[in-house]
Amino acid sequence: MRLADARALVPDLVTTPGEPQADQRLIEAIADWCDRYTPWVAIDPLGGALAEEGAEACSAGGFGGDAGLLLDVTGCAHLFGPDEAGERALLADLVARLARHDFTCRAAMADTAGAAWALARYAERQADLFCPRHGQRDALASLPVEGLRLDAPILETFVKLGLRRIGDLYPLPRAPLARRFGDLPLTRLDQALGARDEVLEPRRAVPAFRTRLSFVEPIGRPEDIAAATSRLLAALCRQFEQAGVGARKLEIALYRVDGSVDRTSIGTSRPNRDNPKLMKLFEEKLGELDPGFGVELMILAAPEVEAWSGTQDVLPEAGTLALSLGSDGTIDLADRLALRLGPENVVRLLPRDSHLPERVQVAATVSSKPAADGAWKHLAGLKGARPTRLLQRPEPVDVTAFVPDDPPSVFHWRRHAHRIVRADGPERIADEWWRPRPDGSRPPANTVPPVRDYYRVEDDDGGRFWLFRDGPYKLAASGQPTARWFLHGFCA
Amino acid sequence: MPVISPSAFAPPVVPRATAQAANDTAGPVSTSLREKVRRLERAHSVQHAGKAAVPTGLPTIDALLPEGGLLTGALHEIEAGPAPSGRVAAHDGAALGFAAHLMGRFAARTPGTLLWCRRPSGVFDAPPYAPALAAWFDPARLLVVTARRDEDVFWAMEEGLRCPGIAAVLGETRATDATSGRRLSLAAEKSGVPALLLRPQPAPPQSVCVTRWRIASAPSRSTPGLHDIGAARWRLELRRNRFGAPSIAEIPSWLVEWNDETHCLAVVPETLHGSAGARFDESLFEERMVS
Repeated sequence: MRLADARALVPDLVTTPGEPQADQRLIEAIADWCDRYTPWVAIDPLGGALAEEGAEACSAGGFGGDAGLLLDVTGCAHLFGPDEAGERALLADLVARLARHDFTCRAAMADTAGAAWALARYAERQADLFCPRHGQRDALASLPVEGLRLDAPILETFVKLGLRRIGDLYPLPRAPLARRFGDLPLTRLDQALGARDEVLEPRRAVPAFRTRLSFVEPIGRPEDIAAATSRLLAALCRQFEQAGVGARKLEIALYRVDGSVDRTSIGTSRPNRDNPKLMKLFEEKLGELDPGFGVELMILAAPEVEAWSGTQDVLPEAGTLALSLGSDGTIDLADRLALRLGPENVVRLLPRDSHLPERVQVAATVSSKPAADGAWKHLAGLKGARPTRLLQRPEPVDVTAFVPDDPPSVFHWRRHAHRIVRADGPERIADEWWRPRPDGSRPPANTVPPVRDYYRVEDDDGGRFWLFRDGPYKLAASGQPTARWFLHGFCA
Repeated sequence: MPVISPSAFAPPVVPRATAQAANDTAGPVSTSLREKVRRLERAHSVQHAGKAAVPTGLPTIDALLPEGGLLTGALHEIEAGPAPSGRVAAHDGAALGFAAHLMGRFAARTPGTLLWCRRPSGVFDAPPYAPALAAWFDPARLLVVTARRDEDVFWAMEEGLRCPGIAAVLGETRATDATSGRRLSLAAEKSGVPALLLRPQPAPPQSVCVTRWRIASAPSRSTPGLHDIGAARWRLELRRNRFGAPSIAEIPSWLVEWNDETHCLAVVPETLHGSAGARFDESLFEERMVS
């Protein structure tokens, strides 16, 4: 019905403009909230309702009227009671909690997502919303064919042919049906009846390890949250021990009473299942979490785990180095620093045998293999005098030289003139022609690769700089020199 | 009536006429008090500052320092001073070189990681470059931390000082924060790990540091007849020397030379003021100490 028609019928109709993005955000928030029942939550791509093998559908009327979520609750219902009673309790709990937040919803549970989808939208009686195990064939038979998630043209044809109920399709021969309508109707029918698999794509990666703790009374004090985290962590570490793994990433989620969810995560540079150490990392992060009006449920999950390497990295290989980075807490220190400052800001320096000064030093995260003992000394011995600080990107400088090929006599950098008294050089460093260029192309054969001529210079104050000219001195047709000068580092 | 000085440690200002009378009481008390304070400070340093000191490798300088070197478990401040011409130094290369030398001394004493916390300042970013630092210590032992805020630099340093696997901590920052300095100093005292603060510019002193150095570059010496670069020379000023031996000069200052081929730091003897004409072969008088 169009707005004008509606207004003609009800002159004082209250209207508000639709906000599809806000609707999307809301349905995502509800999906987050549904993580409390199962980690496997998907937003219905068809904008309908949903569910499956122990799954349920909720069709939230109101915004678009079509939004829906699919929850795979396989193995989750036992938290609410044994077998079918648990599944019924879970469904009732879901509806009751959503109703408490003023959402009108219809939730159905069935063995397959297709059946739950159809039941949630088209079931006529409240009792039909729960489909007992293997009961979907009977439950669906009386529902309209719209419940099969089909395109409108197919549905129209079905209706014209008198196929109004899903049950009408059961006795039809499959081959002519497929020839007439394509694969889709049979696929949907098989999915709804459980003859064919349907994979739900969860919104978030489903963690392999997960513990939850719900509270009778909402909690809000930071100490309570820390204590709860510590309990969850202890339970999770026991799971790790049984599985022989350690966590690389942990995520804690607070489910607040107002239905919103706040999460934060920590990362470690090697598999870790040391409860106190992980707790220390969490203490950094817990301050960021906002309990809001209270937290009724906390879930701790480990999205990334790795096989536990135990005490392997404490073996005194490569002398003092492995020792210094292993058992003495340096790794844990690095984890703490990385957590607050970002993993890219806590680095070790690895040597790389390259001619280009900026490529020699590689910043690697702490979890990477450390440089061998003496590798740096060896590499430094191969190079000439190098600056103690290297500019991330060379700075262009203006240079005056008496003779073009001489080291400069004065250079201007950041509006300061430096009169050069002493200079060493040039040290010619050519581009590495055997390496592809940054854009992926290879330099043409038989050409002279670009070169840089490096000079170590000292100004009249004793300040030392590392300058280079990006190529030999040449005059362009305009009479301007083609080569430019750059400052690349500061020497001690 | 004797006037009591507001500062407990300053000698009381006494009018000449009453000095004789006051000497009987105020004199001995103030000296004994001062002696007591000195002993307390010294006991404090020896008892809590890790007892150990690492020689800088320059005997002339070590003679002035407490325990014959830089105390471990203490905060040391190194700032880049103005260039000899009085201009602001273009970069802190000299200070960085001296800091790296000290890190090398600390690293040689203790196995463990060297923590280097820095906050990129200004418009260009010039991180430490390992091939050159390899002259002083093995860069594989470095853990480089880059922070965007000064508080984070201080926090990272403090965390590092508390960690048993750290041999030395260096922080590069322009910030001066008395509270952070005090916290660093306490953390260093507790763990015995030395902490260095490297400042790219002269800054108001941290009152808690044990030594405070100002390093400026100095012109090097070319090979006679050539304009090549000689061994790097730095002007060292020891501007604060807590618990250390007193020196004749108000601010003891040395000219040192870092030879990047032989990897040794040596004090270059200087001619005294007024004897500019005196010339002698400096190399004969150099105190050499292989680092």
